[in-house]
Amino acid sequence: MTATVTALPLDDIRVIDLSNGLGTYTGRLFADLGADVIKIEPPSGAPERTTPPLTPQGTSVFFAFTEAGKRSITLDGTATEQAEQLERLLDTAHILLTSEGPSRLHQRGIHPEDVTRRHPGLIHVSVSPYGLTGPWADRPACDLTLLAAGGLLALAGEADLPPVRAWGNQTSIIAGLHAATAALMAVLALEETGQGQIVDVSAQEAVAHSLENAVQYVDLENTVRRRAGSGPREAGTGLFACLDGWIYLVGGLGGLPLAWDAITQWLESGGLKDAADLRDPRWQQRDWRRSDEGVQTFRDLFERFAAPRTKQDLYEDGQRRGISIAPVSTPSDLLASPQLAGRAFFRQIAVGDEVLTFPGSPYRFERLDVAPGRFPAWPGIDTRAVMDALPEAADTASGSQGVAP
Amino acid sequence: MTARFPLDGVRVADFTWVGAGPFLTKPLADHGADVIKVESRTRTDPIRSMAPFRDGRPGVNRSGYFANRNSSKRSICLDLKTARGKDLALELIAQSDIVASNFTPGTMDRLGLGYKEALAVRPDVIYLEMPMQGNAGPHRDFRGYGLTIAAAGGLLGLTGHPDRPPVGTGTNYPDHVPNPLHAAVAVLAALRRRRRTGESQYIELAQLESTTNVIGPALLAAAAGAGVHRAANEDAAAAPHGVYPCQGEDRWCAVTVFTDDQWQALVKVLGNPAWAADPTYATAAGRHTARKELDEHLAGATVAHQAAELANTLCAAGVAAAAVSDAAQVLADEQLNARDHWKALDHPEMGRSVYDNIPYRLSATPGRLRGPAPVLGADTRDVCLNLLGLAPDEYEHLAAEGVVG
Repeated sequence: MTATVTALPLDDIRVIDLSNGLGTYTGRLFADLGADVIKIEPPSGAPERTTPPLTPQGTSVFFAFTEAGKRSITLDGTATEQAEQLERLLDTAHILLTSEGPSRLHQRGIHPEDVTRRHPGLIHVSVSPYGLTGPWADRPACDLTLLAAGGLLALAGEADLPPVRAWGNQTSIIAGLHAATAALMAVLALEETGQGQIVDVSAQEAVAHSLENAVQYVDLENTVRRRAGSGPREAGTGLFACLDGWIYLVGGLGGLPLAWDAITQWLESGGLKDAADLRDPRWQQRDWRRSDEGVQTFRDLFERFAAPRTKQDLYEDGQRRGISIAPVSTPSDLLASPQLAGRAFFRQIAVGDEVLTFPGSPYRFERLDVAPGRFPAWPGIDTRAVMDALPEAADTASGSQGVAP
Repeated sequence: MTARFPLDGVRVADFTWVGAGPFLTKPLADHGADVIKVESRTRTDPIRSMAPFRDGRPGVNRSGYFANRNSSKRSICLDLKTARGKDLALELIAQSDIVASNFTPGTMDRLGLGYKEALAVRPDVIYLEMPMQGNAGPHRDFRGYGLTIAAAGGLLGLTGHPDRPPVGTGTNYPDHVPNPLHAAVAVLAALRRRRRTGESQYIELAQLESTTNVIGPALLAAAAGAGVHRAANEDAAAAPHGVYPCQGEDRWCAVTVFTDDQWQALVKVLGNPAWAADPTYATAAGRHTARKELDEHLAGATVAHQAAELANTLCAAGVAAAAVSDAAQVLADEQLNARDHWKALDHPEMGRSVYDNIPYRLSATPGRLRGPAPVLGADTRDVCLNLLGLAPDEYEHLAAEGVVG
């Protein structure tokens, strides 16, 4: 095979990653796609290396997941010397990635306006909690407060309990994905014109962009959506208990009974007493299916049917009958999924002394090995390789051009 | 002259529909790509018939759910089941850089619009499909929606209170975040590679695989034997870390304390209540161990406060906090409005209505919501005549036969 055939999509793109947990997924996405992503860590290591939950050997699973495929370097010397080293690195880079608010970036001498003035051919991707502008730009923030301020938290949870956050630092995923999308558009512009720019990503805005139809409900129908547990209250749809957990069934949605006959036949074929009741014409009426009695009647029937059956059995059996049903998977279920295993989705990657199981990249590029890469086992593991390959300081003094030839 | 867009000159033949696909092509359209949405008059995009509707009156051109995902695009109606309709679609593909669809596996092939056919008319095409489970594997033909993919992909099961059934995000989260945005990253990266190599690219985004990445760290943990479970709003190390009741009905404030300084600041804001003097609370470890009783104390104190005021005071004191905003509150939010996050666009049938603006800004090549969602088939004639080369009388003939229009 020639080099052209195997060239990864982002070969020869260099990213200097100064982000913390909020921005770090962006760099991970770039690394999978072939970019040279260089994480700069303090000599003692990024604090995120030990943020729980930890593996048995003490590595943060969040850090392992988001740093795979990146190189790690540490800078040394005085603050001035470190700043000089950073400038030399930025001279060789296309993208600088940060994820702090504007005042903090100013303090560190890396506010995007200053950075892009010094490096006109650099894209500074600034993911920050509230964006670089506006009255809240420097507010302290974390995943939970950003989900609250962006409106997603209010949609999640049981009505009788406080709103509840999605598992897993989702603001980092949400903001990181928008940031990666924006950064790639800036890369296209950079390679066409040589011009760098600032990409200002607000995590709060990114969360607010993820509210489904809730804002339009306010605007068009003057209705404020409230949290409603695991889904709409309609007979045939929702979470149902089974032998080893729950399944999610979509048997009625938007007023259309989907696969109702198939569900009825399924329950009848299982010999379930009263299953034939689902043939009563009232089940074709949306009002009945949404009534408390209708919802409860269906739930009682289905959960009696499901009680002796596992979620995997119900999933495969139901799907073969054309019914939209899914297991509420645990992480262990996913690791054992016949579909994911059959597609060789998981990758084994060494993380320190352990070999960990990673999900594959979110997408598959035909002919190309787009995948999570090597994990930087310790802070600075790549310092020598990166710094030794930098052009001499004298060479870069003639002008800072971020664009590789 | 207006600033150029980063995707000027890029054309997308957009066969996506419902939730996930259209949120992939929206950012492309908002940044200058000519996104031509191929629709059917007889089998209209289901999301055109999903609430909310302008004034609550249903209609294919009245849904806010549809509108918000389809700004800046054009819409053409073709009957792809007819030979002429298929030929027109192939001509559109020939003139497009990117082809995107999110049908069940094999649908595009059956329509004669598969990757092979696309390559024959456009040798450097970037061709993306978004099957639920993937194009292969034992569950290839299993069906699903955003809700069932959240269940099967693991996010639903990890989100909620430990002693209650899981709740998830309350939205079709995979349709709004991981699947469209991973897909956007993929096609943009492929576009960058094509500019360097001239080569086509086939991309398969299995929605299940994409969605499992949002709980990637949980998979690493489970495979390593470290259990991960639903934990409501708790953090693995920090406490207090939750949402606490405030004045009014169903009003809450998210409050998080990661350091001892923040703890002391919180105590001061609350007026140094006696319970806070318990020496157990002086250290992060002590607070985390005692987090349940700490939550109760805190809830007893916050209820006297107005949520937004409490958040303002805490943030000023260095404690990450935010009122839990519902959709009406995010629409009125000071910070989001300071950043022009909401955009009112005039729509021919819906009138002036609210769209999410782009959650990031590119300083040199910014995107813009260039127009409201298209009325069904609004651009058929224009596209057929001016792009696909139909003569006016030929167009009228095909329109009379229902092939176009």
